[in-house]
Amino acid sequence: MPGLSLRRLFWIYLRVGNTTFGGGDPTMAALHSELVARCGWLAREKYGMIYALARATPGTNMLAFCAGTAWVLLGWRAAIVAVLAVTVPSAVMVLLLTQGYESLKSNVLAMAAIHGILAAAVGMMAAGAYQLVRPHLHARRWLRAAAVVGGSVALSLGFQFTPIQVLALAAVLGVVWRMPEKK
Amino acid sequence: MNLLLLYLLLLKSTITTFSGLSSLPIVRNDLVVRRKVLTDRELSAAIAAGRTAPGPNGSYIVSVGYFVAGIPGAIAGCLAVMTPAFLIIPMLRYLGRRAETPAVRNAIEVVTLAAAGLVITTTVPLARDALMGALSIAIAIASFLILALTKYATLWVIAGAALVGLAGALVA
Repeated sequence: MPGLSLRRLFWIYLRVGNTTFGGGDPTMAALHSELVARCGWLAREKYGMIYALARATPGTNMLAFCAGTAWVLLGWRAAIVAVLAVTVPSAVMVLLLTQGYESLKSNVLAMAAIHGILAAAVGMMAAGAYQLVRPHLHARRWLRAAAVVGGSVALSLGFQFTPIQVLALAAVLGVVWRMPEKK
Repeated sequence: MNLLLLYLLLLKSTITTFSGLSSLPIVRNDLVVRRKVLTDRELSAAIAAGRTAPGPNGSYIVSVGYFVAGIPGAIAGCLAVMTPAFLIIPMLRYLGRRAETPAVRNAIEVVTLAAAGLVITTTVPLARDALMGALSIAIAIASFLILALTKYATLWVIAGAALVGLAGALVA
């Protein structure tokens, strides 16, 4: 493939993975622009298959997508390089932010700002839950979505099930309780 | 805490869930509730740090690792975020399109919905710790509405929340 090299792949994953806010979907869309549309290294069908498999891979879907696309293009070394390029810079940034939080603990005004941030974190978690549910809130399926979310809350709070037990039960339920495919 | 054990506990949370914050209930159950090596406040701070930086939403795990065991813990957290990504390679090699069956998609959908329910239950104790007055409750509600209903970057929400918190302290 013209112009394809480990170094070019590294720069693409580094740039896209660390400058795109908003989680997995915007990043995967940006990688589509680079790998499929601009460079022409990856066929659209292959992109679609990797996208679908990344959604079925445990952990962070976007990282699985990066590992998958890089592996298809240049093998194992590229997969490792892609995952490192996307993860390490943001991990360093997270680490610096955490250290900043730690070092500002004794400053009263800084703590007032941090209390504001911690309150916002509660809203972020609630928004995170909503974003997980939102794609499933369409016609004919919203009732099932509500039942699964409600059942999960009830098992966890009411019956003291551990998160792993709830998720394992959900996996079994998903296999036996099938719904018509989305149109 | 032993680093290998920390890595394995964090890996358990990332490898049994499918996106960003769905690992949160498992992290809290293992590190806050059972082993008591992390506080709810530190977990909230980790989430704020993870959402502020660009890149994967699940990178709050790096911050969790740091709170538990310093820089080595952060490295363990980073490895726990990265490890599951490589599972896609055997899936590509051996399953290909067979993994896109309705049964698999259906199971993932239900697991994701159950994870959302678990994130809600985890939010309750963290909210009890972080929401100490009308101002913080207003910040939490505004953050939820902005992130759930608009496309503003989390960074702006964090900056706004910090400014409002600061202004509240100066006025009081």
